[in-house]
Amino acid sequence: MNLPGVVDDLRKIVGRDAVLDRPEDLMLYEYDGGVRKSTPGAVVFPTNTQQVSEIMRLASTNHIPVVGRGAGTGLSGGAISQAGGLVIAFSRMNRILEVDVENARAVVQPGVVNLQLSEHVSHLGLYFAPDPSSQKACTIGGNVAENSGGPHTLLHGVTVNHVTGVEVVLPSGEIVHFGGKAAESYGYDLTGFFVGSEGTVGIATAITVKLLRKAEQVATLLAVFESVDDAARTVSAITAVGITPAALEMLDGWTLRTIEAFCHAGFPLDAGAVLLIELEGLREAVEEQAVAVSEVCMRQKAREVRRAKTEDERALLWKGRKMAFAALGRVSPSYYTQDGVVPRSKIPGVLQHIGEVAKKYDLIIGNVFHAGDGNLHPLILFDMRNAEQYEMVLAASRDILQYCIDVGGSITGEHGVGMEKRDMMRQLFSDEELDVMISLRNAFNGDEVLNPEKMLPMPRMCREIMGASQNAVLAQEGM
Amino acid sequence: MSTATTPARFTRELREICGAGYVIEDPARLEQAQVLGMTPAVAVEPASVEEVAAVLFFANVQGLSVVPAGGFTQQQAGNIPSAIDVLLYTTRLTGVEHYDPGDLTIGIGAGWTIAQLSSKVGADGLLFAGDAPIPERATVGGLLATGMTGPLRHGYGGLRDYCIGIKFVTGDGRKGKGGGRVVKNVAGFDLMKLLIGSQGTLAIITGASFKLFPAPRQTSTFVAGFATAAEAIQYRDSVLRSPLSPICLELVSPQAGALLPGAGRVGKAWSVCLRAAGSDAVLARYRTELGAAVSLEIDGHNERELWRAIEDFSNTLPERNPGSVLISLSLPLADVTPVLNELESVAASNHLTYAAIGTVGVGRLLVGLWPVAGERTNLGAAVSTFRERLPRDASATILHCPEELRRQVAAWAKTPTDFDSIKAVKHALDAKDILNRGRFLF
Repeated sequence: MNLPGVVDDLRKIVGRDAVLDRPEDLMLYEYDGGVRKSTPGAVVFPTNTQQVSEIMRLASTNHIPVVGRGAGTGLSGGAISQAGGLVIAFSRMNRILEVDVENARAVVQPGVVNLQLSEHVSHLGLYFAPDPSSQKACTIGGNVAENSGGPHTLLHGVTVNHVTGVEVVLPSGEIVHFGGKAAESYGYDLTGFFVGSEGTVGIATAITVKLLRKAEQVATLLAVFESVDDAARTVSAITAVGITPAALEMLDGWTLRTIEAFCHAGFPLDAGAVLLIELEGLREAVEEQAVAVSEVCMRQKAREVRRAKTEDERALLWKGRKMAFAALGRVSPSYYTQDGVVPRSKIPGVLQHIGEVAKKYDLIIGNVFHAGDGNLHPLILFDMRNAEQYEMVLAASRDILQYCIDVGGSITGEHGVGMEKRDMMRQLFSDEELDVMISLRNAFNGDEVLNPEKMLPMPRMCREIMGASQNAVLAQEGM
Repeated sequence: MSTATTPARFTRELREICGAGYVIEDPARLEQAQVLGMTPAVAVEPASVEEVAAVLFFANVQGLSVVPAGGFTQQQAGNIPSAIDVLLYTTRLTGVEHYDPGDLTIGIGAGWTIAQLSSKVGADGLLFAGDAPIPERATVGGLLATGMTGPLRHGYGGLRDYCIGIKFVTGDGRKGKGGGRVVKNVAGFDLMKLLIGSQGTLAIITGASFKLFPAPRQTSTFVAGFATAAEAIQYRDSVLRSPLSPICLELVSPQAGALLPGAGRVGKAWSVCLRAAGSDAVLARYRTELGAAVSLEIDGHNERELWRAIEDFSNTLPERNPGSVLISLSLPLADVTPVLNELESVAASNHLTYAAIGTVGVGRLLVGLWPVAGERTNLGAAVSTFRERLPRDASATILHCPEELRRQVAAWAKTPTDFDSIKAVKHALDAKDILNRGRFLF
């Protein structure tokens, strides 16, 4: 790897002002929204697909590790470079290339900010459904890499459910297309395979996404509970009456008090937990569901169920939810967000376990999460300067994720595996299963030029095991 | 047709893996398991993932060609396999890995039939949205491998939207897994997407987990008739732009309508059949919004019969017209009308009759073409012309082709996805090309 030696070549491709290599400039690119850091050797800002292709070809020839980067809001280290590697930043590839109303599609460059797309098509009554809490900043390229979710994925699904085509630059520099504007494309669904591949297969340079029509009616309810347990049990009670809300979020008492002090969203200060429930669809259906959901909440011992009466009230409740992370930043120097998932029916148990973990490690852990699909976000407060406490945080985090795995869940629902959960992949997948994934990655990125040491752990015994049994059969067959 | 012969030592090994009772060598039974006229040399019925892995590992070492099979409802699709040394039935993979109605998820073996699955979850008021043709025989594994969907695709999404986990054995005998049993999960590659519709060429699917939906408590179906396809598609667009969210939205051409039982109910024109779920108040709203174009509203038995017939159409058409070519298309929404116009023009200039039916709200279309009685025509050339004229982002596969045309018309001719990347993925999981050899794109 010789990055300094190719900086001049990079400048020839993208122009002098589009490459950063001074240490003070690179510092801005050494972290994302998570807790890991690593300083790249250079950052390059292409403006078009051809430039990305030339950059990739140059990097591959010189064995320079490359990672794509959008806004750097990710929470799993997905956009962090290897030390001295090359970051391709997409802030200059931020154009909406096409809005195709007839086909309900948009084609965007990877640097387009998530919320900007919805704002851009709002006058047409359309929007882009995936809505991560960071949607004011995060980019669609990053959403594609991590297969991002958000509160409304309960009804609408995560990013992969909204991407029908991608233009991809492969490590070789070759530009290829997977899928297009049709909902599905025959042949292998490489679009679906690419989304969530965490930058380890190729780099998306144009993305075709679905645009949904805004619902006629939206009802936003705030159900207030005395205890976390009652709120947790209500989650599966709602789905049990045959209703799938568009969003079903839970905030525990500690978290909502912290948020309230920060942005006055109107959360009750003395509650044990609240559920923020959103219903959308045909007016008649929404009104019936709002009544039914309120009844379920009251049966599950809710103290009260409030409904946002105006768009402003609704926006305020959501602001409170989406500002949760910012609010925590005020009360703690650092926080660590986990992303475990459990089957819906296991939510009461996992919340109890998180409480026990907090006691065991003497940590404050808040809970604000996508309860409807069992996707937890325990927020562990700590001080990065306290090395001992940091170790406790990592141990607590592993403990919680192990519980999720033990009850049939997953280590990540929407943030991706990245660097930090890479080793926990072994708890979810056998060596043989990981070997299958590695061979698929190697089909595109065999030299691991793209985002090395992310998502998939290093192969362990697998090849030796396979080799041994294969040899046994060959010997038996006399070959 | 040709029959491969499998040496006795291979059969001996297969018996050791699956048990003697589950290795089929009886010529009469093998004859019944023909795939596109090709008789398997031997068939096996493994009962576990381990047995599937052992069969594939063995076949891989020996270079034997393996064709996976479930309920034999889609085996007429694709090209003629270059050989069938081993036909591998997945029908004994019938375990339940997890099922808690409160989680709205289920994980089951690939051998479950769609009807069994629907009935199991239906007892708890839940719906499995994969409404494949001939659900009594179609299996979960086959449904996933072929990527077939039915009319519920409109309201509930496709398999890629609600299959949340998948287990499989690769062509080189490795046990693989993607996803899990929770509805939201981004750990590792999304191998559900990769295997859905991969036509049994990358791996043999042994089990899967699905998101389930609350079953609708009441539905009603509205049928609107139009003189032309263009008018029917305009009506589709007005529904898509409205606040309505029907669970099914199906276009039925006049000839397709004639093939449905109770055809009189759908009428002789181009029809749009729309199925809505909800309370009396919700259904009343549909009546108001859909307006005067609706000529018929049905529910209960008649409604169920109509939708079942639409689900089974891909089976019914070739049964009634063995000489027909049946093409499945996936199109951008705005391409549906031009493609139907093209179909009409190709049919008219080649003395062909055509039928079209499809989940047009998501761009799915099934098209059948067959010779007008007594006319001499070159159906193969007409199909090629039609496919050549398809728009850029369209993809097309042939689900049924009369025997005499099979070698003339390639089954998989069009996809917008990069072919070299497709081959690279195939090589990664089945480098020796033992699975469904010759059947798919390669």
